[in-house]
Amino acid sequence: MRDYWLSKLFFDLQSPAAAAEYRSDQGKVLARYPLQENVKRALSANDVPFLAERTNAYLLRYYFFAIGWKDEEFIRRLRGG
Amino acid sequence: MASLVGAFATSHGPLLVREWQAVPDEQKQRLSAAFRELGKRVSGAKPDVIIAVAPDHWSNFFLDHLPSVCIGVGEANEGPPEPWMKDFPHRSIAGHPGLAMHLVKSALDEGFEPSVSHRLKLDHGICIPLWRMGLEPMPRVVPMIVNSIEPPFPSVARCLAWGRQIAKAISSYAEPLRVAVLASGGLSHSIGERTMGAIDESFDRECIARFSSDEKSLLRFLEEKLPQAGNGTEEVRNWVVAHGAAGGRGFELIDYLPVPAVIVGCGFASWRP
Repeated sequence: MRDYWLSKLFFDLQSPAAAAEYRSDQGKVLARYPLQENVKRALSANDVPFLAERTNAYLLRYYFFAIGWKDEEFIRRLRGG
Repeated sequence: MASLVGAFATSHGPLLVREWQAVPDEQKQRLSAAFRELGKRVSGAKPDVIIAVAPDHWSNFFLDHLPSVCIGVGEANEGPPEPWMKDFPHRSIAGHPGLAMHLVKSALDEGFEPSVSHRLKLDHGICIPLWRMGLEPMPRVVPMIVNSIEPPFPSVARCLAWGRQIAKAISSYAEPLRVAVLASGGLSHSIGERTMGAIDESFDRECIARFSSDEKSLLRFLEEKLPQAGNGTEEVRNWVVAHGAAGGRGFELIDYLPVPAVIVGCGFASWRP
């Protein structure tokens, strides 16, 4: 399953400027995307397995890289840790 | 007439740049030596143009439009968009519109349906190998994007047929160009999925062995095993394109080493002309 707008958010955050804005004001950036409420909650909670079911795996990794996570933490959370 | 002067293949991966300092010294030396040897072989073939076969890592295409195969026909290609590739010394790499459009038209005449782009960004999948091989001056680059990032993917058999088609098209291009095919991707790796970080060394070694066996054996193996060896492994399709271009023979491994620090089974190869 692909959530288009979630994927679009992750795609757009590959831009360093967009990623910086997102890190400083997540709510402002999220308001531009018609995301479902459960998806917004998952983003706020960094619910990696939930997000993984809805987007491409490469985009998912880019997103967590863009918000400053190390791969080790990302992998741990991917596996439900 | 143009001529195919060599086919080559290499791995790539962002961590080869971003986490290079974390690679153990012995593996650094082997990786550097493999890239150097590959660069020496490519340079030795004296290509005027490199057809670079690689995936698009969400640099050009999104869910709105995902071509299975896209050929870059522009006068120029943009350098890598990734900020961590800022030290790559080229912001623009010349293309070869004449050859590229000939590849497209020849393919259409033969029942293939490539997409076309007049302006592609060349992301790390193409630029890390060009950089690490030390190709200076940089030959012109015609990018051939093969989707292995977002399913569904072109079949392995189709990729082999694409390779044959590329070779045929090169041989019918009127200008006396020397053309090389450079495949970038694989071997086994897993990105953004639960198995991220895993390298399937047994798959990689078997895959390498099958490139030296008959084509049916290679295709049978890849069709069965590719989907089980990590999503990044799907990029082996690009090696299959190079294999097809080389006529399915002459595979020669330069080096293979699993590199956990960059989470890729790293392979380097060429095909004897």
